[in-house]
Amino acid sequence: MSQLDRRTFVKAALAAAAVGSVPVIDLLAAPVMAAEMPALAVRKGTDIPMLVRDTLGALGGMGKFVKAGQTVVVKPNIGWDRTVELAANTHPEVVRVLVELCLEAGAKKVRLFDRTCNDPRRCYTQSGIAAAIANVKSDRVELEHMDPRGYREVAIQGGRFFDRWEFYQPALEADVFINVPIAKHHSISRLTLAMKNLMGVIGGSRGKLHTDIAESLTDINSVLPSTLTVIDATRILVANGPQGGRPEDVRRLDTLIASPDIVAADAYAATLFSLKPEEVPSIVAGARRGLGVMDLKRVRMV
Amino acid sequence: MKNLSWTYARRASQILCLTGFLWLFVQTEYRGVDNLPYPVGLLFRLDPLAALADALASGPFGWGLLWPALLVLLLTAVFGRFFCGWICPLGATLDGLGRLLGRGRRAFSPSLRRVKYYLLFALSAAALGGVQLLGLFDPLAIFLRSLALALYPAYNYGVNRTFDVLYAVDLPVVTPAAQAVFPWWRDHLMAFHQPYFALSFFTLLVFLVIVLLEKFEHRFWCKHLCPLGALLGVCSRHALLQRTPKTLCADCQKCDVLCRSGAVHADGHRRSECLLCLDCTGFCPEERVRFGLYAPRRSGPGIDLERRGVVTALACGVLAAPVVRIAPSAERTNPYLIRPPGAVAEAEFLDRCVRCGECMKVCIGGALHPAWLEAGPVGLWTPLLVARVGYCEYNCTLCGQVCPTGAIKRLPLEPKRKTVIGRAVFDKDRCLPFAKGVECLVCEEHCPTGEKAIVFEEKDVIVDGAARRLKFPKVVDKLCIGCGICETKCPLEGASAIRIISEGESRRERKGLPAGPYG
Repeated sequence: MSQLDRRTFVKAALAAAAVGSVPVIDLLAAPVMAAEMPALAVRKGTDIPMLVRDTLGALGGMGKFVKAGQTVVVKPNIGWDRTVELAANTHPEVVRVLVELCLEAGAKKVRLFDRTCNDPRRCYTQSGIAAAIANVKSDRVELEHMDPRGYREVAIQGGRFFDRWEFYQPALEADVFINVPIAKHHSISRLTLAMKNLMGVIGGSRGKLHTDIAESLTDINSVLPSTLTVIDATRILVANGPQGGRPEDVRRLDTLIASPDIVAADAYAATLFSLKPEEVPSIVAGARRGLGVMDLKRVRMV
Repeated sequence: MKNLSWTYARRASQILCLTGFLWLFVQTEYRGVDNLPYPVGLLFRLDPLAALADALASGPFGWGLLWPALLVLLLTAVFGRFFCGWICPLGATLDGLGRLLGRGRRAFSPSLRRVKYYLLFALSAAALGGVQLLGLFDPLAIFLRSLALALYPAYNYGVNRTFDVLYAVDLPVVTPAAQAVFPWWRDHLMAFHQPYFALSFFTLLVFLVIVLLEKFEHRFWCKHLCPLGALLGVCSRHALLQRTPKTLCADCQKCDVLCRSGAVHADGHRRSECLLCLDCTGFCPEERVRFGLYAPRRSGPGIDLERRGVVTALACGVLAAPVVRIAPSAERTNPYLIRPPGAVAEAEFLDRCVRCGECMKVCIGGALHPAWLEAGPVGLWTPLLVARVGYCEYNCTLCGQVCPTGAIKRLPLEPKRKTVIGRAVFDKDRCLPFAKGVECLVCEEHCPTGEKAIVFEEKDVIVDGAARRLKFPKVVDKLCIGCGICETKCPLEGASAIRIISEGESRRERKGLPAGPYG
């Protein structure tokens, strides 16, 4: 496992310091996605590799999202020092197969990381993701510990909660960003799904976002749009989330959700918890501010 | 000078031992497995002073842990202070650094050597009385503590900054070479997180003083001050390994000047002072000096002590206990005195802890820090959990694994998860939902117990004249183990709005009180 390429980062940091500027991301300039109905694939199955391939196949294959020679960031949830069966982290098999699909699509490099809540070494190991990625046996894949020097402050124009925040530079720089959360209960945001998974690529004191989780998540998702969202609902955590710890809070659903539209994916995932999308504030805020479609009737199921 | 081979053998042993200890030290870190195969605490199993401390502490003697130390004592009775000359990492460090810094050759009065014996007697008497300070002066503890709390953090900082600079300036050859080396170096020879400790500077200062004493005289610390040296000296009083000639030769007297421990005298060879460096076998111009095993003889100079000094030392030691005991216990006056999980009851903890700093080095959450006066004056350098800085990782049992003396018991994972080291309490004047009418619940999110010890209740409240429904966090006492992640992660600036206090800790002895709001 390695960290951010130090040379690249230090140079960029120095350059930024020299110019004294903060890069600006303009919300209003973001492409409007509402014109076309977004595709949403939902599949069920107990064979995870097959499930992942089926679901991605329904969207037209990984080749639709990853082009040869591109740099891909796959962002699972590896936030907690919990083992697979406790459903606190994305299933390692889901992650592994997605990485393999990226490689098959010709990705130059696939990088994985998460800003964990517990000790990062423990999380990477206990989640099973370190072992799964080691199994891929490709030097184009790297599961990295985040480098504290890798964060860069970005101004968020049109942000409702904050006007600037630190983001992890490798996530911003990637050609393709694949968001792979696990669907879980969460006391403040009700559910933690793909939009909330982005908290793993931001710096700073993240707890502050809790004071207005819906708008703050929309802010950060507007800075860093996900090319593809794959929600792992092979097992979901229905209580004591987001880190769980009790097998009785886990439900096995053998389900995978994938969509280029992050809001649509989250909206569908909410229904797995018997919630309506409009009951999850971040989904509502995301839809209202143009991140995607929450009305599942306006989604093209594939 | 034909017999230099002994000097080289001794140096090789010192370098080997020092390297071995440093290797163990670097291994004392979580590297993906829950049980450390080679914790540096192994070193203390060799330490007779740690064994003495354990024997004088309350509770049964840790035979299982400390038998190697007894073996060292036995070997010392046969061979003398070989430990000081051949094994001790602090001794080796002083030999090495003294060579670099240049040494003084000031001749101090031989009576100064008595200080270490007096120190040993005073500390032992104090330990018998219930005040354990041996660890403060134990050379192995000093060595490891300086390494863990000051030198290793500084080394990590220095290496990181050096690599940063190399990348920033991008020198030809040097930078690519550094870039190639760095990942391996980082993964094998450095700490995962930059270690930070409150007492780094003070710890370093103490270490520097001991090193700078070399400027007065070679091995000043070992000769005059080291209580472990004194203990080994007492044991080697009648060592079978003896030197011939016993005294200074009339035609030479070189030993008088060159002996690093000043052990060769007109009245004989002081086995208690000889560090067995064996240099004299090399520098003797006539190659007369030999070491060999001889039947025990009562002859030769004994340990040079004055009755008055011994009595004073013992009296000081005996007095220490009541003087310390009449102060109000820190356990009572400091509610933030949080010890690592598995720590034994406070009085025994202070007895057993040798202040080696290993638990602090290995703590995965960076939670353990050396105490200054927080645990009372005798609690110096003992580990405290400072939850605002770091928290106790729920699934980690490393501190109990590395503790060499059982001050922190080795706990299997399940009992560790149930060991209460304190309890979280809210400061409702600062906690956001209570104080500002804003949602937060970061503490609840991070609470690691499967059934959460921080829960919330939804209540309708009036905030700035408008009705709002808010989630208010609450601690469930019977589930909270005091791990402190809530205090670490509390997003407020400055003091946390939730703090761990020692209330309810498992290790405290309680009599007669029912469980409930008091326990």
